[in-house]
Amino acid sequence: MSQSAKPELRRSVTPWGSFSWGYSDVGADIFVGLGLVLAWAAGASNVAFLFAGIVYVCIGLAYTELAATYPVAGGGQYFVMRGLGDIFGFIAGWAVLLDFTIDVTLFAWVSVDYSSQLLPMLVNSIHPWTHFGVVLGLVVGLCILNVVGVRESTAFNGVVSALDVISETCILCFGFLFAFRPHLLIHTMQVNWPSPYQLMLGTSLAIISFVGLESISQAAQETQRPASIIPRTSVSLILTILIFALAYSNLALGLQPWHPILDAHGHAQQFWQIFPNNADNQGKAVALLSAQIPYYGAFAALYVPVLGAVLVLISSNSGVFGSSRIAYAMSSSNLLPSIFQRVHSRFRTPAVSIVFFSTVAVIELLFAAAPSLYPHVAALYGRFFHGENGLEFLADLYAFGAATSYSFVFLGLIGLRLTDPLSPRKFKIPLNVPFRFRGERVEFPIIGVIGFVGIVSILLFTLRTHALGRIFGPSWLLLGLIMYLIYRNHRRLPLLRSQRRDWRSAQTEILRRAGELELMDEYVANLKASDQRRAARQG
Amino acid sequence: MLLLRGILSLAILSCGLVIVARMLESAREGGFTILPGVVLGAAMIALGMHRLALIWRARGSP
Repeated sequence: MSQSAKPELRRSVTPWGSFSWGYSDVGADIFVGLGLVLAWAAGASNVAFLFAGIVYVCIGLAYTELAATYPVAGGGQYFVMRGLGDIFGFIAGWAVLLDFTIDVTLFAWVSVDYSSQLLPMLVNSIHPWTHFGVVLGLVVGLCILNVVGVRESTAFNGVVSALDVISETCILCFGFLFAFRPHLLIHTMQVNWPSPYQLMLGTSLAIISFVGLESISQAAQETQRPASIIPRTSVSLILTILIFALAYSNLALGLQPWHPILDAHGHAQQFWQIFPNNADNQGKAVALLSAQIPYYGAFAALYVPVLGAVLVLISSNSGVFGSSRIAYAMSSSNLLPSIFQRVHSRFRTPAVSIVFFSTVAVIELLFAAAPSLYPHVAALYGRFFHGENGLEFLADLYAFGAATSYSFVFLGLIGLRLTDPLSPRKFKIPLNVPFRFRGERVEFPIIGVIGFVGIVSILLFTLRTHALGRIFGPSWLLLGLIMYLIYRNHRRLPLLRSQRRDWRSAQTEILRRAGELELMDEYVANLKASDQRRAARQG
Repeated sequence: MLLLRGILSLAILSCGLVIVARMLESAREGGFTILPGVVLGAAMIALGMHRLALIWRARGSP
């Protein structure tokens, strides 16, 4: 098949479609992260969200610049491969794939937790086998739906996202108006400040509320004129998610519950105190919080569990779909074997990738569910892994994968600023230091460095505090690296160095396909001027 | 539609201003604990201004 006859994705995503695509991925994360962070960071939960949120803003800006400059679906692994080389691109992509597989299991798990608010037979601590069976059924079901080619439409994403934005706004407005006590917030923070270990753990868990920015680059490939549209929608998305995360954490710490919350001894306790050592509550924090909002809570208690379950299930589905797409892109770049590009003869979907990564998700589910299913495994986890529960196991790996891939994306951003200064950047992260590098004027991104330091510190927190994450996460990377080296050796490709590629032609083609013809002309003119300068220097 | 979006953006901006003002009011008592609240307010102001800038640009275009 000739290059020109290759099928392309239709660019039909509108600005709202682009926003809702990202929102259904990242916006669902607060439904998962809030309870876990409140359980560990206690009175400093809002500080944990603040630190992770600042890092997230830097990551979001980096993704926005990269996705607007290189609107291809490969996302993080493509930017890193182009900026740093093949092996680093592989590591970043492999870490993203870990996140996508965890995404499938974690969000299916939390979807069942939210459903358990209305269906008590799904409560994990009381009916662990039913909980496990339903989560497994959801993962297998999503795998089958993706193999046969059914996935949620952008319109469906848009409707659910709009409903969620309205719902969360109502919860927060009513909450801050009728239930928030600023003095209680200050008192909680001063009296219940966690230990440094707990704060590190809480901060590393807070980053899981901001995972899913890969969707910005995925949306970029299906948006017409992405260089103009993506920055507009991404900045709104980044700020909206940050506002929700900070607002929820502040509200949870300063909330005067509508109905008294009593502990086992009948003593009244604060809202956030229902989360430590209670995995059932950790998995449905937003539903529990909304039910404690005066007046609105009576209504919210009925629909928030359903809305939460649907939103996180969409996110779980994006894990199945996203992993196959990233694996396809990595395989096209010779970072993974070509089997991951194989499409089903009847359904025309990357069935091998979908089944492979769904199987990984099921294995992760087995590790997560084992302590609740078998008491002797719980004893083993208690002895060696601080007694982590299933939700914490999945969150550990999610935080590890996100922190690893985001660290490389920052390095990729800095690398691309230095090695590819000629690509027109319609959106550029603010705060840059200009200087000359290899005869070209480049701009060094200060925010990229700040973000890198922030995300590396979160990665170190994760390795320090997550007993399972520090074993399984690096093991995943090591396993992938061995597979990569065997594959590259088999294909007679450079092992540690990069394959030779014509990035100039590739970039021109990317801009042409995106409909960014003015930028394409600007890029070609930049190349010509650069070549002339080089010739003049050599002459 | 633009008018509605403009009103919403102004509401977000105003909420942000109120939150920042209320947090700064408690600065003496709360010390650094007001920081997450101040950032929350600042993020709302930034979002409101960003949305207003987009509306302003949309009004200018034919």
